[in-house]
Amino acid sequence: MRIRALALLGIIAGVCLLLLTLQMRGSGGGASEALAIVTTPVQTVLARINRATLGIWGTYRDWKNVRVENHRLREEAQRLRVEALRVSETDAENHRLRRLLALKQSLPLETMAGEIIAREWGGWVRSLTINRGRGDSVARLTAVIAPEGLVGRVVDVRAGSSIVQVLTDPASTVGAHVVRTRTPGIVEGEPRGTLRFKYMARDGGGLQVGDIVVTSGLGGLFPGGIPIGRVRSLDDRGAALFSYAQLSSAVDFARIDEVLLLTGGAARDVAASFKSDG
Amino acid sequence: MRTFLAIAVLGGGVAHATVGSALRIADVAPDIPLIVVVLLALRRGPEFGCGAGFVAGLLQDAATGGLLGVQALTKAVVGFAIGVVGTRLRVSQPLVQVPGLVLLSVLEGLARYALLQMFHFPAPFGELMTYVVIPQALYNGFLGAALVLALAWAETLKDRTS
Repeated sequence: MRIRALALLGIIAGVCLLLLTLQMRGSGGGASEALAIVTTPVQTVLARINRATLGIWGTYRDWKNVRVENHRLREEAQRLRVEALRVSETDAENHRLRRLLALKQSLPLETMAGEIIAREWGGWVRSLTINRGRGDSVARLTAVIAPEGLVGRVVDVRAGSSIVQVLTDPASTVGAHVVRTRTPGIVEGEPRGTLRFKYMARDGGGLQVGDIVVTSGLGGLFPGGIPIGRVRSLDDRGAALFSYAQLSSAVDFARIDEVLLLTGGAARDVAASFKSDG
Repeated sequence: MRTFLAIAVLGGGVAHATVGSALRIADVAPDIPLIVVVLLALRRGPEFGCGAGFVAGLLQDAATGGLLGVQALTKAVVGFAIGVVGTRLRVSQPLVQVPGLVLLSVLEGLARYALLQMFHFPAPFGELMTYVVIPQALYNGFLGAALVLALAWAETLKDRTS
């Protein structure tokens, strides 16, 4: 067995060396040609298979890369969306605070800024909770305003917070008048969350849709001239003692986040501070 | 079985130039025919190893456009040697397979270089060893060991099912 193997190896070595020698002498082309007859078709087939396999593999890798990239881009888009929301939120907050600051500086009154931390929006009670309370020396019935106009009054003072009765609360009443006609009346909240202006005037008192209603300043609770709303529709009851006008509130109570508490000098007229908003 | 052996020997020799590039890592491709010859020689003895090495090497020479007979001779010698000593080694252990194949590949590279030197091969020895022979030998070692393990696993599976 071993001898046969050795003999085979010897023959093979001899053939190889012969082939090499022939090639070096330039006469080994025939052997190469003969082998090429075998190898070329096999190589062609294998190359096709290889190309097809690589093509499938390449397509798979492309698909995988696209998937990964798609996932990455989705995450990026999500992150940017959140970032954009955060920026726009900060921008909006900045805008609101600037307006509040401008109002605070223009008001001839002592004020204190407060942040709304809760809202009660049921039909029975409409109130806001702000983060100012007894510790900040907030007094009951302190007027609360926003850059757009009147919000309401403090009805309950707690240790670190206060409850503000909003104008639309059914129990809320504020002395007011129409800027254009000076018609006096009372702004009342309604259970459905709207405001109405109740006034004593024959023939409607000359009120028109769009008229601005502001606080009258009578009673000393609210300073005069704070915008409350605009007349949206008139309910002229002819010879009746009272006439009514539906108002659109100057302040969007559902959307405000910061307010100013008027902590001193409530008797003064502050209409000039709201001129641009009126 | 014979068909499989023929495909393994012939395919290994020709496939190296065609399909081998797909297995390239950092510009290093394994010597698939050498691995095939070693595996066959371990199982079938020196005679078969020698013949398989000759055929695979010759086809490899022809397929790659090199001097006919260089790899035919070196692979025939490798096949023969592995067939002779294979029975005395515990080649089922990866700790033997990997360094064994690496060493064998280096020896085959040295033999090929020595043979080519007789025909005035111009490449410098140091560079050839650093950039071709040793990286390929390492690749052969790991790929060959993986193939041995895969074959052993396939055989175990076959035994269980039959």
